[in-house]
Amino acid sequence: MALEVRELSKRFAGLVAVAAVSFTVRPGEILGVIGPNGSGKTTLLSMMAGLLPPTSGSVIWKGREIQALRPDIIAGLGVVKSFQNPQLFAELSVFDNVRVASHLALKRALGLRRGLELLGAARAVEKQLARRVSEVLALCNLDGAAGQLAGNLSYGEEKMLGIAMALMCEPELLLLDEPASGLGRDEIRNLEEVLVKLHAAGTTLCLVDHKIGFLRGLAHRVIALNHGEKIAEGAPESVLNDPAVVEAYLGTGHAHA
Amino acid sequence: MTQLVLGQVLNGAIIGAMYGIIALGITLTFGITGIVNFALGEFMMIGAYATYALAERGLPYPVAVVPACLIAAAAGYLSNKAFFRFTRNNLVNGLLVSIGLISIFESASMLLWTATPVEMHFVLPGALRVGNIGLPKMKLVVFAVIVVVIVATYFGLARTWLGRAAFAYAQNPEAAMLMGVHTPRMETAVMLYSTGLAGLGGALYASLYSLEPAMGGVYVLKGMEAAILGGIGSLMGALWGGVILGVIEAVGSIFLPTAFRDAYGLAVLVAILLFRPSGLFGDE
Amino acid sequence: MIAQALLWGVLYALPLFVRSDFLLTIFIFTFIYGILAVTFDLIFGFTGQLSMFHPAVFGVSAYMTYLLASQYKLPFWVATVPSALTAVVLAVVVGSICFKFRLKTFYFAVVTLAFAEMIRLVVMNWNSLTNGTLGLVVSGKPTIYWPGSGVVAVRGPIAWYYLTLACLSVTVLICARCLRAWMGRCFGAIRLNEDLARTLGINVFRYKLLAFAIGNALASFAGGLYGYYTGYIDPGYLGINQSMEILAMVLLGGQGTLLGPIVGSFVLTGLPHAIDLRAEIRAILYGAILIFTILAMPRGIVGTLGAWKARRGP
Repeated sequence: MALEVRELSKRFAGLVAVAAVSFTVRPGEILGVIGPNGSGKTTLLSMMAGLLPPTSGSVIWKGREIQALRPDIIAGLGVVKSFQNPQLFAELSVFDNVRVASHLALKRALGLRRGLELLGAARAVEKQLARRVSEVLALCNLDGAAGQLAGNLSYGEEKMLGIAMALMCEPELLLLDEPASGLGRDEIRNLEEVLVKLHAAGTTLCLVDHKIGFLRGLAHRVIALNHGEKIAEGAPESVLNDPAVVEAYLGTGHAHA
Repeated sequence: MTQLVLGQVLNGAIIGAMYGIIALGITLTFGITGIVNFALGEFMMIGAYATYALAERGLPYPVAVVPACLIAAAAGYLSNKAFFRFTRNNLVNGLLVSIGLISIFESASMLLWTATPVEMHFVLPGALRVGNIGLPKMKLVVFAVIVVVIVATYFGLARTWLGRAAFAYAQNPEAAMLMGVHTPRMETAVMLYSTGLAGLGGALYASLYSLEPAMGGVYVLKGMEAAILGGIGSLMGALWGGVILGVIEAVGSIFLPTAFRDAYGLAVLVAILLFRPSGLFGDE
Repeated sequence: MIAQALLWGVLYALPLFVRSDFLLTIFIFTFIYGILAVTFDLIFGFTGQLSMFHPAVFGVSAYMTYLLASQYKLPFWVATVPSALTAVVLAVVVGSICFKFRLKTFYFAVVTLAFAEMIRLVVMNWNSLTNGTLGLVVSGKPTIYWPGSGVVAVRGPIAWYYLTLACLSVTVLICARCLRAWMGRCFGAIRLNEDLARTLGINVFRYKLLAFAIGNALASFAGGLYGYYTGYIDPGYLGINQSMEILAMVLLGGQGTLLGPIVGSFVLTGLPHAIDLRAEIRAILYGAILIFTILAMPRGIVGTLGAWKARRGP
């Protein structure tokens, strides 16, 4: 159950955002993707989740090519992405946001028996759903805010809500786009707890971030991008000390640091 | 046969120009101020009836046109001041305000002139012979006036400071305001001009056809179709869209039943919206 | 919830203490148009799609129901079924085209309007079938099986009142059930943020089409009822004016609610008759009311009341 990225490229008019990147996400691992701003990290992740069609190359999940599939189908196959700028239903409450995200979970659990809801005969289903939503909210430390409107949350809470919604989709592979950006120290610790718990429960994680410290502690393996190309891959320490990586972040002249 | 087609094409183009001037009003209003003025046909009706009323009082036609346009523009100014300016960027509110205004204006017109169609005395009789086709002189005058007005509008906006200001306002009103563009005045100007244009269209219409209170309804729809066909926001597109629509309807009526005249334009419109939503000449 | 139950209770009990045929008639029209308004709101207020297609199914089913019933000697209710099915087919075809091409609000409205107009032109010119602009006179009445009396024709204001109220109740019930279920959550998600809904696994195309099909299918029943009640069907049923009326009712009453459209229907149906002046003055007042309501109460009557209540709440 691995995700393989094969020679994936994205070109926008004259600009090459991602250039023939290849790597694998191994099942059960936490993979980090680092790189300076503009290195193509977000574009790469968007292509992996089906939100952006690649110019060339393929993304293979469980043996089938998914790069040309619709985002909702890919989510149904188990690959879910959370957004750098939190995407929420601002007019709904926190609870309702997560409840909407339960669409896939409900479909998997009940299949056509969802129709019972239409006949009003679904008390048990509703209760079960509400319990699930509360669990996810508790996991993300949002249970206190469950009744608030999503539009009134703080930035850190919004990000956690985005992750909660992604969790509710029961992903096998969770792609996280800069989950720690904009968060304070406590919030980052909270996020780390959640991700560790998630990983322990069996979810594969692939994180993009440029907070090196955050990834260092969390990731099993790291890939580094620069100008859309993969420049390093391996254990976090070795990649972070790789001269090419250091040069990418700090510029030439620091390659020896 | 070619004579027939050619004749129809020319007729269609002339009617299309009428659609075009309404389309220009729609595209200007929506493109610059973000307001949906679905009641533009009513200002056309106001211009038409005003021209008729003034001509009945003895004013020669060309002289009557000017105050008629001004009256339509004044009505537009009031409508904006009181209602439309609150519906900026709100499609549904703009629609509802438009529906309300249509009801009001149409009924007022019914009270003043009843539903019986009225007609002006011949303004410019006679026709020009082009080959085997006879084209009424007045229709040619109408066509020419509309084309001149639309082209002048285009150059007026494309090449001047006013136009750049309008464009900036359309993109970002706050930023435009900070750069010295007097934004409320810009919006008022656009509303005045577009309703004045519609009034002009009405005044020209009055010289050719009979008038009735409900005349605005058809034209605003055609104008909307033409504006979308040409591309909302494109000024010359409004003219082209109108002419193309007029020609499609006319030519379609030759080979296919006349009863479905409107449907031919609609079918093309749907096709354009599906495959090229920005219209023939629009961008983005 | 209690307010709603009370409201329905009052409506069902109304004929007991209202004797005026005139008032009952207003309610009958309110209920029939209410069906149109509620189903329109399902598509517009709840799913966010501004459809101008309602008049098409309203008119087509009016014609179809009567023609089938008279040609094939079918009871009214049997004839409504093929009409509803036709409405579904039309909705699926038009909806598939529109949603496949991901038309945004304004353009979706324009394309649905274009299709509705094309259908109207067909209806208007199919003289052999529809009698064109002259319209059809509807003879005959819907029949109900009433235990004890057998098959009875629906005749008189009170019978029509309960018939139309029952149909409206069923419509609201079906819509409410859909909205309370997972379907309703999908509709809301699509209205609020379509792209986000997609990333959460919702097949946006399918649910837009579902809302559109359900809304149009239920609306078709209003066509049959209206034709039989007024006794006259003409191509005007399919006109743009109908779309405007329905939109006005929903916005006036409160979009995104199930009761709002009914309230809007009542106000716009009843008001013209409440004002005892000549037709043109009434139309002017109608326009003024529309403008005033949308500018002063953009959330409609029910919406504004709901917001006011929420502000006063705990």
